[in-house]
Amino acid sequence: MRRIALPAAIVALIVLAALILPALLPWSHDAIDWDHVRAPAGSPGHLLGTDELGRDRLARLAVASRITLLVALAAALVSMIVGIAWGMVAGWAGGRVDEAMMRIVDVLYALPFMFIVIVLMVVFGRSILLVFVGIGLVEWLTMARIVRGQVMTLRQRPFVLAAQASGAPVRVILWRHILPNIAGVALAYLTLTLPGIIMIESFLSFLGLGVQEPLTSLGILVKEGADDMDVAPMGLLVPGGVMVTLLVCLTLIGERLRDRFA
Amino acid sequence: MSLYRLESLSVAIGGRVLVRDVSLEIAPGECVALAGASGSGKSLTSLSPFGLSAGRIGGSAVLDGKELAGLDEAALRAVRRDTVGFVFQQPLTALTPHLTSAQHLAECAMQAGGPRPDRAALGDMLDAVGLADPLTKLKRYPHQLSGGERQRLMIACAIAHGPRLLIADEPVSALDAHLRGEIMALLTRLRRETGMGLLLVSHDLASLEHHADRVLVMQEGHVVEAGAAQMIAHAPQHAYSQALWAATPNLKSALPDDLPQPGAALVEARGLTVRFPGSGLFAKPMTAVDGVDLMVRAGEAVALIGGSGSGKSTIGRGIAGLGPVSAGTVLWRGEPLSAKRTRDQRRLIQPVFQDPLASLDPRWRVSDIIAEPLVHLRPDLTSWGRAGLVKKALQLVDLDGALADRLPTALSGGQAQRVAIARALVAEPEMLVLDEATSALDPLVGAQIVALLKRLQRDQGIAMLVITHDLALAAQFCHRALVLDAGRIVEQGSIADLVNHPQAAMTQRLVAAS
Repeated sequence: MRRIALPAAIVALIVLAALILPALLPWSHDAIDWDHVRAPAGSPGHLLGTDELGRDRLARLAVASRITLLVALAAALVSMIVGIAWGMVAGWAGGRVDEAMMRIVDVLYALPFMFIVIVLMVVFGRSILLVFVGIGLVEWLTMARIVRGQVMTLRQRPFVLAAQASGAPVRVILWRHILPNIAGVALAYLTLTLPGIIMIESFLSFLGLGVQEPLTSLGILVKEGADDMDVAPMGLLVPGGVMVTLLVCLTLIGERLRDRFA
Repeated sequence: MSLYRLESLSVAIGGRVLVRDVSLEIAPGECVALAGASGSGKSLTSLSPFGLSAGRIGGSAVLDGKELAGLDEAALRAVRRDTVGFVFQQPLTALTPHLTSAQHLAECAMQAGGPRPDRAALGDMLDAVGLADPLTKLKRYPHQLSGGERQRLMIACAIAHGPRLLIADEPVSALDAHLRGEIMALLTRLRRETGMGLLLVSHDLASLEHHADRVLVMQEGHVVEAGAAQMIAHAPQHAYSQALWAATPNLKSALPDDLPQPGAALVEARGLTVRFPGSGLFAKPMTAVDGVDLMVRAGEAVALIGGSGSGKSTIGRGIAGLGPVSAGTVLWRGEPLSAKRTRDQRRLIQPVFQDPLASLDPRWRVSDIIAEPLVHLRPDLTSWGRAGLVKKALQLVDLDGALADRLPTALSGGQAQRVAIARALVAEPEMLVLDEATSALDPLVGAQIVALLKRLQRDQGIAMLVITHDLALAAQFCHRALVLDAGRIVEQGSIADLVNHPQAAMTQRLVAAS
């Protein structure tokens, strides 16, 4: 567990900063300080400076981290719930039901994901909710495969047979015997999907399909920073650095959890 | 002159001394056996001097005039390469899956610097270990060989480079009873022919009398008794050796004559057939159980005996309502049981499985595990009523009530199997299906479980279907036995008849092996 401590502490720090900083700072993420447009980092009152519209970069960074983490968590939860339910049913039922359910997963895997998200955006309009749903609906596929495999091995185990012999109905066996025994693997995989989702969300926002102004996310900040990087390199480096740190730490946590449980 | 000599050998892992003060001597062509329950340090003693365990050794180990203690890894590797051969318990996991027999043998023959053997030479090696049709077997992969053939291949590999000493760690424990005698006889013949020494680790005590020259009995890391195999087999001195010998079932001891009288027919299977779909596109379905009829009366214990793959576990699951049944009916007191059992029908037949730890959910506490059947089969009970019955069940299987709060991982193998039996008993079934319920346990613990089953049979009058590969075990408490071969019943009758006048070839092999 010791090897998880450092990355977990860093992630906790980022989460805490994202939650608390906006309340502490005098500037909100969309307030414009007309006196200090394009202030450099370290100016009084603006620790990281301001952008070309005079908005405080630190406040924007905190709100962006908040949104990015929220999208990632919500999408991961959606993918976990759908994936576990789908995988458990397929793995337990076996036979033709399993065949049909897993072929559906294969077909969805084959569809270009970016295309689906763009179609969803065009049909239903741009909303942050749709970003959650769209990412979650794609990310559950791998979870479903992992869970199905686990369930198929577990259902042959004698303790599951013993539960059947003791008259336990299927839903009780799934809920009380199977689910607790796949929880470790599922949790480890969930932690590994978080960085993937953060990447997707940032990519969508970078393209202008994700989170919309005046709300912001790490992807938007990176895009703005990239547009401006010859005059204000910190505008790219700081949000980029936060994002890379998050990704590395979450991946480390996920891999170490996976080594422990799987 | 001795070939291999251990003098006050000790083995420590992480500062804990697990083996202490073991001394033994093996002359060329001689077999010395280490016997003892699991955890007694037999394997550590045999493997540690050659650097094959995590343990650090103290004392002295001399092979062929060369001191092994204090050698570095490179020197130990040279010793393993040139002068020692190893045979392990699990032939399937000890062989490399993607190499053929010929590749395994060639690699082993060349490890000490010999030339690459040609096909005829490889065939001769397989012939020497008694593999039929050696030239065809050379092209086979491990998974295409039977358990006995794999173990013969592993022995052929172990002796391919002409070692002076062979270390065999439980070489027959994973094999069916009737194969054990053949493999032991092979090892005896090989060491007589080649003059190689054999250090044998085994808890199959019955066979040691015939196949070992001397036996050392180990308990908790030290030798409690050593002497000629004949002496120890017939007149063990130390209390632990006596207990170990007494715990090993054999057919020489008299059959019990105090079994309770069976009552009316309880469960009856007619034409039970189970087919599994074959794997692959054009594979035919595999018939695992083919038209089996069997009947168990109230209070009767019936043994279902056969080798691995004979379909005995599949029958047990079919009768307990836990596995697929393709054709045939199962009757309970003359009434057919539905394919999908109702709660009341579930209560009647409860299973106990081979691996006690795998049969308990690792995340549940003992008290919840035992209470599970009550939750579903006795919905009328309050949680107080359940707790009382769980306590009674624990007492019935001689477990301390303090174990109720433990997780299965904190139980020993014997305790875990008692918990599994308590779970099977708590809903007051009329019959138990015991699927190899003692074979994963070491002989002393297995004997305690058998004693518990005998008591349940006498006091509770519970019927049992005993699935086993061991005729001697069945003889201890079963009224009748059915012998299975390839999914069919080849012979049935009272244990005494089967033992004294075996008719079918399978029965004769089982009797010879016990």
